[in-house]
This record gives sequence, C-alpha cells and structure tokens, in this order.
Amino acid sequence: MTHAQRIREIRARGRIRRWEYRQRNLAHGAWLRFRTALAYAELAFRVSPALYAELVASGGRIDERGAGLEPPRHMVWVTPAHVAELEPANQLTLHLDGNMLAAEYLALVPFGEGAALRR
Amino acid sequence: MLTFRERLLATLRAAEPVLSVAGVLVVGSEVPNLLEPGAAATLVVSQDVDLAIPVDLHEQVKARLAQIVGLEPSPDEPSVWVPRTDRPDLIELNFLGLDPSIVDPMDSYERPDDRLPLMVFGPLSLLSAGRSVVIDGLHIPTPRPGGLAVEKLITDRSGEKGDRDLLVVAGLLAYMNDDEVRHAITLVQSLPPELRHAVRSNLTILSLLGPRPSMPDPRVVRGAIARLLAQLADP
Repeated sequence: MTHAQRIREIRARGRIRRWEYRQRNLAHGAWLRFRTALAYAELAFRVSPALYAELVASGGRIDERGAGLEPPRHMVWVTPAHVAELEPANQLTLHLDGNMLAAEYLALVPFGEGAALRR
Repeated sequence: MLTFRERLLATLRAAEPVLSVAGVLVVGSEVPNLLEPGAAATLVVSQDVDLAIPVDLHEQVKARLAQIVGLEPSPDEPSVWVPRTDRPDLIELNFLGLDPSIVDPMDSYERPDDRLPLMVFGPLSLLSAGRSVVIDGLHIPTPRPGGLAVEKLITDRSGEKGDRDLLVVAGLLAYMNDDEVRHAITLVQSLPPELRHAVRSNLTILSLLGPRPSMPDPRVVRGAIARLLAQLADP
C-alpha cells in the first residue's frame, strides 16, 4: 500500500468515526451506551422479569442504557444486599456473545461490590 | 533457531545509530514486549518494529542511516527497511513521522523524501519519552505507557488487527501506575470531543473482549478500564 493509499484509508475511517460520533445520541449509539454500562459491571446475571421487578422495587437502580436496543435490555444495578438473590448459574461472561445478547433482563454488580460472588 | 526476542533485539541493535538520536522512540505493539521483564517479548505481534522520528529530527536521522548494517530500504516502500537476504536474524524496521503540531488521524500526511519518506501519523504526537529499556548495554527509548495507550485508542483499526491492538492497550494498562493513568487522562481531556468519544468507545470494546492466546488478558484489567471510563466521562 502506498502512502497516498494509506492516507486515503485513514481519512475514510476518520469520516466513519465522525459519523459515529454524530450518532452517539441516536439509535446507532445504542451499542456504545449498552457496552458502556457493561464495562462498568464487574459481574452480570440474567434474571427473570419477576426478579428484575423485585430488585427494582427493593432499591436497585435502573440503567436505561439498554433501552435503545430491540428488544430493549432491562438493566438494574444491584446493591450488596441483593447479591445473594442472584443465581450463580445465571452469571454471564462479560463479553458481547450470544448469551449476553439473548438476556433481556440483566442484573449488574458494580466493581467493588461483587467480592461476595467471586468464584 | 533464533527466537523472536533475539531477532527483535538484533534489529534494535542494528538501528542503534538512529535510536541514539535523542527524541527518536521505539513505538507500536512491540513496546509491551519490551516492557516485559527482561524484554521477554512473549506477545504475538507482527514481525516488525516501529520507530517514531520527530519531523524536526528527520535530517539528523537521515545522516545516520548509512550506519545501519544488515537492513536496506524496501523497493516497494522506502520508509520500511527490510533485512538483507543474508540477515535472517533481523526483522523489518518501520520509520514513522511524528509531528507535534497534529494529533487527529485525519491530519496524517506524507512527508516525501528521496532517502527516507515518512508517513506522519497524527496520534503519534501523543507520545513522549518514557524510560529507556536497557538490554545487554543497548538503550531502547520507549514512550510513556499512558501516551502509547491513548495513541492506540484513537488510531482507527478494524477486524482482528483492531482487537489485537486493543489487547496491547490491556498490556500497557498493566504497566501504568497512578502517574501514568493521570498522564493518559490529561492527554484524553486535551483531545477534541470526537476523539475523546473514540477513546471511550474503544475502552468499552476492550472491556468486553475475550482472551486470546499469547496476548494480554483483558479480563484482568476490566476494573482499571471501569475506573478510567469513570474519569473520562463527559460532564
């Protein structure tokens, strides 16, 4: 690849980056918002709609950053008092893999509060 | 059979006349390899090593090129020096330009020259001299890890190469003390909003990557990434 071709490629990627930046608050930015929420989580669990509602009712903080996906991802940050209610078998690996994308209701444990669940 | 580490160090020794010009830095994905204890070079990277040449040192570097033994300019791309056929102990040497007046990748430009043309990459201006790694008397000038991490986070890449470059950031985070983290944050805060956004976006991708053989494990730096993200959040 010549230098001129390289520069053309860099500028093309730069134009895409600018387009992505302009999309940050629009639908396309939903993925970044979702990834950002997951990046703050030390642990993530798939939960049932009923448990999700229970966690919210007992003080869990709703995170709207999954709302832009279809179907929407419902996420709640759990407090240390809630962690015992989460099923170890439902723990998800924090990757954007099939299991993570299939979970519509998620309970997230922030860094520093998952010590009790570390295995 | 020579190891990759031996070839890397032999190449840097061949480039010593240029490395000894104050301001020239070894950059790119080989830096985490060199920062490993004893420059163990265990990470999987391509078989080349990048040198950043500040544009105001271009002539000084050109004056020393004749002292490099065992490598010669590639006929296809004279900014890349390739091992002579009788030197299988060496790897390719890439000369890159560093211009402190630009930072955006979009501002990258070509600096034509008959002897040593350079591609001048905007993000390289985020690099500043860090510690010299000394191996068997060879002084290898490396950049501050914080600056190199930010440079990697704003340089657009895609596909497998992009993921691997982000894993290099995971390797750098392991060498970043509080001072280096503050340095990285200061650099990011000095960037235009669009590039700050690119940094945050790439950090989230890194946080959710799986491990790959012979590469830094991103899972062990997820906590550091979360703290960095929190400090880089837009007000």
